Amino acid sequence: MLSPVLCSELSALEPEYTEADVISAVEFSQSGEFLATGDKGGRVVIFQREPQGEYNVYSTFQSHEPEFDYLKSLEIEEKINKIRWLPQLNSAHFLLTTNDKTIKLWKVSERDKRPEGYNLKDEEGRMKDISKITSLQVPVLRPMDLLVEASLRRVFANAHAYHINSISINSDCETYLSADDLRINLWNLDITDRSFNIVDLKPENMEELSEVITVAEFHPHHCHLMAFSSSTGTTRLCDMRSRALCDQHAKLFEEAVDPANRSFFSEIISSVSDVKFSHSGRYLLTRDYLSAKVWDLNMENKPIETYQVHDYLRSKLCTLYESDCIFDKFECAWNGTDSVIMTGAYNNFFRMFDRASRRDVTLEASREVCKRRAVLRPRRVCVGRKKRESDVSVDSLDFRKKILHTAWHPTDNIIAIAASNNLYIFQDRHSHHGHHAGHRLEQDRPPQLQDVPPQ
Amino acid sequence: MEYKVEAHRIMSISLGKIYNSRVQRGGIKLHKNLLVSLVLRSARQVYLSDYYGGVCLNAQHVEAKEWELMDGDQEKLIPASEESLPSTTACDQTEAAEVPEAPQPEETDSSLAVEGPEDPCEAVEGPEDTSSTEPQAEQESSSSVDSTCDVSVPSPVVSEPQCEAKQATVSSLDCETDANLAMSAEGNSHQPPKAHSCSNRKRSAEKKASHGSPVKRTKVTSSNADEEEAEEMDTSNVSNLITIFGSSFSGLLSKDNSEPEAETDESDSGSGQICCDQMLKNLNPWNTAIVAF
Repeated sequence: MLSPVLCSELSALEPEYTEADVISAVEFSQSGEFLATGDKGGRVVIFQREPQGEYNVYSTFQSHEPEFDYLKSLEIEEKINKIRWLPQLNSAHFLLTTNDKTIKLWKVSERDKRPEGYNLKDEEGRMKDISKITSLQVPVLRPMDLLVEASLRRVFANAHAYHINSISINSDCETYLSADDLRINLWNLDITDRSFNIVDLKPENMEELSEVITVAEFHPHHCHLMAFSSSTGTTRLCDMRSRALCDQHAKLFEEAVDPANRSFFSEIISSVSDVKFSHSGRYLLTRDYLSAKVWDLNMENKPIETYQVHDYLRSKLCTLYESDCIFDKFECAWNGTDSVIMTGAYNNFFRMFDRASRRDVTLEASREVCKRRAVLRPRRVCVGRKKRESDVSVDSLDFRKKILHTAWHPTDNIIAIAASNNLYIFQDRHSHHGHHAGHRLEQDRPPQLQDVPPQ
Repeated sequence: MEYKVEAHRIMSISLGKIYNSRVQRGGIKLHKNLLVSLVLRSARQVYLSDYYGGVCLNAQHVEAKEWELMDGDQEKLIPASEESLPSTTACDQTEAAEVPEAPQPEETDSSLAVEGPEDPCEAVEGPEDTSSTEPQAEQESSSSVDSTCDVSVPSPVVSEPQCEAKQATVSSLDCETDANLAMSAEGNSHQPPKAHSCSNRKRSAEKKASHGSPVKRTKVTSSNADEEEAEEMDTSNVSNLITIFGSSFSGLLSKDNSEPEAETDESDSGSGQICCDQMLKNLNPWNTAIVAF
């Protein structure tokens, strides 16, 4: 399978790339047939899975442009913050994309036929000379080269005073939520001029501001449940049936902080950067700066599993604060069967944790090590002396190479990793057996990944 | 002490980040600035907590002179005494104080002020309260407020642009600008009690202070009196600084946008680093004055 590099021609010639090419969102469609990526320049690239298993570019369009808010004298970045696919209802595909202020609904459709044989127009579209028309013909549809069109169907604007950080489509397929730093709004996909505010954390007096919303997501099955996390490290589950404004949570997931670990930066590293419901709907996965936690929705006082992603950074928090790395927001992902979780780290490393066997693996996504058809070798970060040649010392980690955005195919063992301007798609070595490979994988060994070249 | 140096460094870095966030593309990020302000607050508490431990830095004579006048009062101060505390001490200690039930032995001076943070702070908020006869704790705080304001007046004007720049910075954070911010009222030179009442304002405590940890802080909900105060831009810079540091996000927002915006243009030429240095320079004499006794 191909590991398509988003700007392959650029990075092949020169290692530098423009800021606009940095990938800022990655999302598989609900069936897994499509993969959408958004970048800081406001572009969206959609990949489609070929029958052989590789992903090739399907469509590219400019979703958002930079804007200027004249009232507040602020520039609005065109960076795509999130992409969410709608469930497919007909031959067309719909996806929501959002930047800091505006959400857009795009329709991506194919056209492979075009009408030919008009009576009044010729092939180039010019009007025919009527006096020369001697007979009538019925236009017919003839095949043409496949044309993929992306057309803007809805614009949901002017509903957020603060920066939008997440969107999530409800399981009812009619509504979706959008969350900014202080508020969460509920929209109907067909209505653009109105939204309902369902969570409002803005205090009467802004001086009393103590937390902001970081991520929000709808439950995968229950259309009345949604979860949102905050900068204080708490995650709240809200039931929209109880009242219109869900400021009162139904459940609050918070783990007591170990006082021995307190430092200047305790609050920053406890801020939750991503929340994902499991496919089963039973569990919640939250990611903070140093760890990933799995919560059972039935138990609020502590997570059922905690995975340390890169605890060796705990002693380097001051340096990371200076370089702003401590504010990086890592995403996390479940696999299709909720047995493995994945998240990114620095130095182009990403980690996967098998929940049942408690085994974990660290892998690297970079051009040097990702040779085609090669199985990725597990990497290790060592704090002290290197035990093996392949070990990487903590001090030699490159903090500019961060993997913030990762996505896992909804059913198969295919993962998409965004490393700066490059997109890597890895497929499990055994995946040609389909689902069976997935089960076998978890039983005998940690996942071995492989990237396959295009045919 | 090393951690004091570290705290100082973190404070200057944080101030630089807040300053630079003004020029970042895409506008000011509320989440990041909130986190930075929390770090700034923690660092400040650690930084100031040294003074309570009796650590003496280089005293600067200019400010020390004024404090000498109150030295006599300070000597007489004993727990449960009715003598006035130097205001900044009271203010600082209420800011960085741990829960009163765990006072440090060397902080007995401050413990009194600490024990009544809720009452005096809220009582002192309005100028009319300072003249009322109140329990001794409150009286100390109010008189301390007066004395603090005397100290704050001679602060150099040069730091003013930064203060206002900072206020302007975060003023754009609140798009709706409906925040009723006594912060902007801080340190009106003709209303001294208000200045430090602002800094005394705290939020309600959510955690128990861990013993010996300088990072914990008590918070008290700000009184309504704050919101009733006038919100003109002040000219007293140290008061601004105090207020900015006083409660994490407060002091960074200003309801009155027009003034800060005007000031912002003038202060734009300054770099974040200069801003930090100047701010900390102003902070230093103020702090050393507290330590002077």
